[in-house]
Amino acid sequence: MLPFLGRRLLQLIPTLFFVSVIIFGLQQLLPGDPALIMAGEDRDPEVIAQIRAQYRLDQPIPVQYVYWMKGVLSGDLGESMRIKKPVLDLVLEKLPVTAQLAGMAILIALVIGVGAGIVSAVYKDTWLDYGANIFALWGISTPNFWLGILLIFLFSVQLGWLPASGYVRPSEDLRASLASTIMPAFVLGNAIAAVLMRHTRGAMLQVLSSDYVRTARAKGLLERSVVLKHAMRNALTPVITLGALELGTLLSGAVLTEQIFTVPGFGKLIVDAVFNRDYAVVQGVVLVTATAYITLNLLADIAYMLANPRLRS
Amino acid sequence: MTEPLLAVDDLRVAFAGDDGRTTLAVDGVGFALQRGRTLGIVGESGCGKSVTSLSIMGLLPKQSARVSGSVMFEGTDLLRAADRTLRDLRGDRLAMIFQEPMTSLNPSYTVGDQIAEAVIRHRGASPREARAHAIEMLRHVRIPSPEQRVDDYPHHLSGGMRQRAMIAMALACDPQLLIADEPTTALDVTIQAQILDLMRRLRAETGTAIILITHDLGVVAELCDDIVVMYAGQVVERAPVAALFAQPQHPYTVGLLGSIPRLDQRRDRLAAIDGTVPNMTAPPPGCRFARRCPFADERCRREAPPPVEVAAGHMSRCWRAPLEHLVQ
Repeated sequence: MLPFLGRRLLQLIPTLFFVSVIIFGLQQLLPGDPALIMAGEDRDPEVIAQIRAQYRLDQPIPVQYVYWMKGVLSGDLGESMRIKKPVLDLVLEKLPVTAQLAGMAILIALVIGVGAGIVSAVYKDTWLDYGANIFALWGISTPNFWLGILLIFLFSVQLGWLPASGYVRPSEDLRASLASTIMPAFVLGNAIAAVLMRHTRGAMLQVLSSDYVRTARAKGLLERSVVLKHAMRNALTPVITLGALELGTLLSGAVLTEQIFTVPGFGKLIVDAVFNRDYAVVQGVVLVTATAYITLNLLADIAYMLANPRLRS
Repeated sequence: MTEPLLAVDDLRVAFAGDDGRTTLAVDGVGFALQRGRTLGIVGESGCGKSVTSLSIMGLLPKQSARVSGSVMFEGTDLLRAADRTLRDLRGDRLAMIFQEPMTSLNPSYTVGDQIAEAVIRHRGASPREARAHAIEMLRHVRIPSPEQRVDDYPHHLSGGMRQRAMIAMALACDPQLLIADEPTTALDVTIQAQILDLMRRLRAETGTAIILITHDLGVVAELCDDIVVMYAGQVVERAPVAALFAQPQHPYTVGLLGSIPRLDQRRDRLAAIDGTVPNMTAPPPGCRFARRCPFADERCRREAPPPVEVAAGHMSRCWRAPLEHLVQ
């Protein structure tokens, strides 16, 4: 177990290095010159040269990369050229919002998706199974923006139960915070729930017809413990991995959903940064989300191992 | 004679296929088993022997299997018993071990957990008592250093050890009837002998009645008191072991006995039974074995033979039984 962990942690170093190189390299491929954008209407050559010097845009790209990497390693992600704020502050400001949204979404997805998957496998070929499958098909094929607008129309406009937009921090008012995020979280979670449901159903059906489930039944165990103890533990290991990857995707921000509900998360931050050639912000945000994604992947592997004794030894 | 422990009468199992056709897997099977006795059910793959045992245990899928007849076990008809009653009996009075020890244990739980589970369920034992009992059962099935093995996961154990653990699990609540479905088929020959030896000793210690399902007549000869030979869903011959081996009264049994390799007779080729089993979605009229039978005549192909008592306790489903006059 420990050697495995050590090996996996060591593997993180080259992975993150390549990720940083790619992030930095792709950035250079974006058309447009940040110095020109910052110089404004006049495009005074002196101002442009000064900006280039200030942000080291006049240096060769590898040199720029080294400067950037030096900063990153000392906790400095650079400064936003547009809003003149440290990128780290921007990230720390938006990260909790995105994390809260992603956490709630994945929770909703797991409860609905895994629950529906188990029910539809246990009650295969009954109306419960058909219902769950129709729900999954609906979840996969419903566009987020449309579902979002529909929810706003129903719960905000018609019923007036939830705020249509905006965001409240949980530290300010927990109830208001949940109310402001439940709809976008549901929109995000719904699509993932559908995927998780299909996977859970497939895995459960396979496990339920396995020999050891027959053994569990031959022992006279209650159907509840056959399903929840003997079948679920083995069926859910692939679902853990899938859930972790989905959570990683959620953490990189949900542009459309954040836009519809005007939630100030990563999605909006990165889109604004790309449009304004705000290199430092794009690099910083992508680096943070990539690191989160890789870390979640590692956590999924560890969880997978804890759930599967054959991998432990 | 005393009331048998288990009496199976006119058991029929049909499976509904997805294409709307039904397959008759078991067709009018009947036998009885006295307490403490061992019955062998012999036949080739697909003859219905496993389906028979699963229907006794109530483990056939309810959606697709249609079961009729009666299975009386200690005064309860298992085919008509409520699910709750069956669950209470399974693992307690009735136990079963399976062919594949590799896949029959849950890979995610220790063998100790899986044995203890049955004790907790049926005996209401505390987890600590159940664990102690699990260690005791592992010792009982001759697993070395059971105190350590109890915390092992199935993948730590060899095939033979896993089958021992399965037997320990099945016997944990001291059942009256143990159904062993090909318990040695997936094991190496030396391990097979050890498991058979273990079963013989456990039977002597506990007095559990056993139904041993196998396609291996050698195994039957070693362990069983009585034999039921099945072919294409029917019992074609039923007799005490000695009588069946000495004077088989069904051509199929004769064929099976002829296909056992023997050290005391030199033969270049083993005898084989020509042909294949009939398609059970549309069983042929007449005797199901007729197309492969060297003795079959016109009547065999036309009319199904009834079971005939050829000697005391010796039943054969053959128009031409007794066979002695045919082989002269």
